[in-house]
Amino acid sequence: MFRKVLIANRGEIAVRVMRTLREMGIGSVAVFSDADRTSRHVRMADEAEHIGPSPSAESYLRTDRILDAARKHGVDAIHPGYGFLSENAEFAAACEDAGLVFIGPSAESIRMMGSKTAARRTAMAAGAPVVPGIDHAITFEEAREFGRIHGYPVLLKAVAGGGGKGMRAVEREPDLESAFRNAASEALRAFGSDEIYVERLILKARHIEIQILGDRHGNLVHLGERECSLQRRHQKVMEECPSPLVQQHPEMRHEMGQAALRAARAAGYYNAGTVEFLVDQERRFYFLEMNTRLQVEHPITELATGLDLVRLQVEIAAGAPLPFTQEQVAWRGSAIECRIYAEDPYSNFLPFPGKITRLTRPLGPGIRIDGCIYGGWVVPMEYDPLLAKLAVWAGSREAAIERLLRALSEYDVSGIRTNIGFFRQILEDAEFRAGRLHTAFIDEFFERHAPPQPPGDLTAVAALAAALHTLARNGDRLVEGEPRPAAGSQWLQAGRSEFLR
Amino acid sequence: MKLALTINGDEHTIDILTPAPACRFQLGDSPERSAQVETPEPGVYSVLMDGRSYDAYVEETPNGLVVSLQGYHFEIAARDPRRWSRKPAGSGGEGVRTIASPMPGKVVRVLVAAGDAVEAGQGIAVVEAMKMQNEIKAPRAGKVLSLPAREGATVAAGEVLATIG
Repeated sequence: MFRKVLIANRGEIAVRVMRTLREMGIGSVAVFSDADRTSRHVRMADEAEHIGPSPSAESYLRTDRILDAARKHGVDAIHPGYGFLSENAEFAAACEDAGLVFIGPSAESIRMMGSKTAARRTAMAAGAPVVPGIDHAITFEEAREFGRIHGYPVLLKAVAGGGGKGMRAVEREPDLESAFRNAASEALRAFGSDEIYVERLILKARHIEIQILGDRHGNLVHLGERECSLQRRHQKVMEECPSPLVQQHPEMRHEMGQAALRAARAAGYYNAGTVEFLVDQERRFYFLEMNTRLQVEHPITELATGLDLVRLQVEIAAGAPLPFTQEQVAWRGSAIECRIYAEDPYSNFLPFPGKITRLTRPLGPGIRIDGCIYGGWVVPMEYDPLLAKLAVWAGSREAAIERLLRALSEYDVSGIRTNIGFFRQILEDAEFRAGRLHTAFIDEFFERHAPPQPPGDLTAVAALAAALHTLARNGDRLVEGEPRPAAGSQWLQAGRSEFLR
Repeated sequence: MKLALTINGDEHTIDILTPAPACRFQLGDSPERSAQVETPEPGVYSVLMDGRSYDAYVEETPNGLVVSLQGYHFEIAARDPRRWSRKPAGSGGEGVRTIASPMPGKVVRVLVAAGDAVEAGQGIAVVEAMKMQNEIKAPRAGKVLSLPAREGATVAAGEVLATIG
């Protein structure tokens, strides 16, 4: 087994990986940019190395600096987390060339599944159904031809894409040309490639993915599905296991699981990976893409199966065979995860970095938090807005929803804006409770609901607290219990200058 | 002791009739209420009202107070109603509109110059945070009167980027 592992990442996932490493008695090495010197992952690691300025292109995306840090600290292996270099085949190959184990699949598997179009071809060859589309970079004329044959709406996507960048839904042909141009220029900015391909857009699709796990001896199992239909800007915000749809149609888990395993096998896959599917309203599923790394939302699979995916990743990378068979994988109860983002859901999900002035986390039965934040920390504006993942487990979906509501009411992150209140609103929604999820759910949600109005009593209590605080803070003795006449008191002057712009 | 409160943009008044801990107060014209109030930790107000228990966390920010209560956040500005006009702060003079950054971030581009005539919806500046660029647009047509926005500068939420009139 490894003695020491470097985590080529930051934020909550670096912390998550370190926790398991510590349980396994393996030393952890953090890397950090200028912006992250006091971040949790650096404070938590056994060893840490500075790798450059704040922009990720000069730090977390620098293979050379990460490998230098690995050599300097004498590590045996590198865990890439998700994002950054995790799906970069050259990075995986460079690790192996440097004599370090890359905790993930082979560089060759990443190549076969890394680009969306290559993955589609691999999946099709393995017999997995795919959304009708063109599997290579196309011109505008080819996109128009596709629309005429298959009809609208269509979806333009970046060949090198991910995270919704370079993606455009097009409802009708007159909009195609400008959408094509915008998608290409956005893709060029985000990925350095303006190649675009096209698919038929499936309306009210659900996003359901299968977690797979394979060892280096040819054993491959699936760990069931996660439903990730709740998205904003094509990024997931809430995930659950089991999927409410699969709960109603249990045969889907096996069918999608087998399709995922066929695709993974075709890529010679080992370690942890996720095969994403779109599911249409007739419950037909289509291969979407494969993520060749640990997924953000892996905790819900861990809660439902009782497995530690990071431990399994490390053991597999060290050459161990899978310690169980497909038949031994069992699912229990229901797990739901919320991604707590530093953003304002009621202002178009605009990011909201800044200083966390106070933090109170939920505790108690069935709660799991994977986070990296602490009171007093300044959330950097250079990186992703993910602050923490709050996951709950309970015996049923209904109980998990109630538990999540309870946990969210205990969660207080002050100083910045977060989507905590928005999740409470979603969890109360009848459509959500009925499990009628789809990828446009949040867009439609805003058509059905105004921002939440707190109960009147809460407003009264907040007003009272604010008034008492103002009086106390400005030298008046009211709060200490010694009333003083209001006339001409100095706090009014102070209050004015403090509170008014 | 009467205070005018702006709570999440809505105007309220509160009259503290008896101070804490055995507090009596009146919110607007609604009936008088009683509450037992303690401060177990600095900035934390434990309120017992109508048999219910509330923990309100009060935080001071440059723009006023933020009260967190059962997961809700209340942005509250307090002032003396007798001595201050009710006109909300920051609305500027007649016909002058301030354009503020809706989020904390970095000004990556300034798209206009002081003195420029701008159309409604025209981009004024691009603010970036957390890998997302947001173009801030003019709410209406006019002339750029002032332009505090500087490329490369860090701005807070609500910080003025430009005024037009």
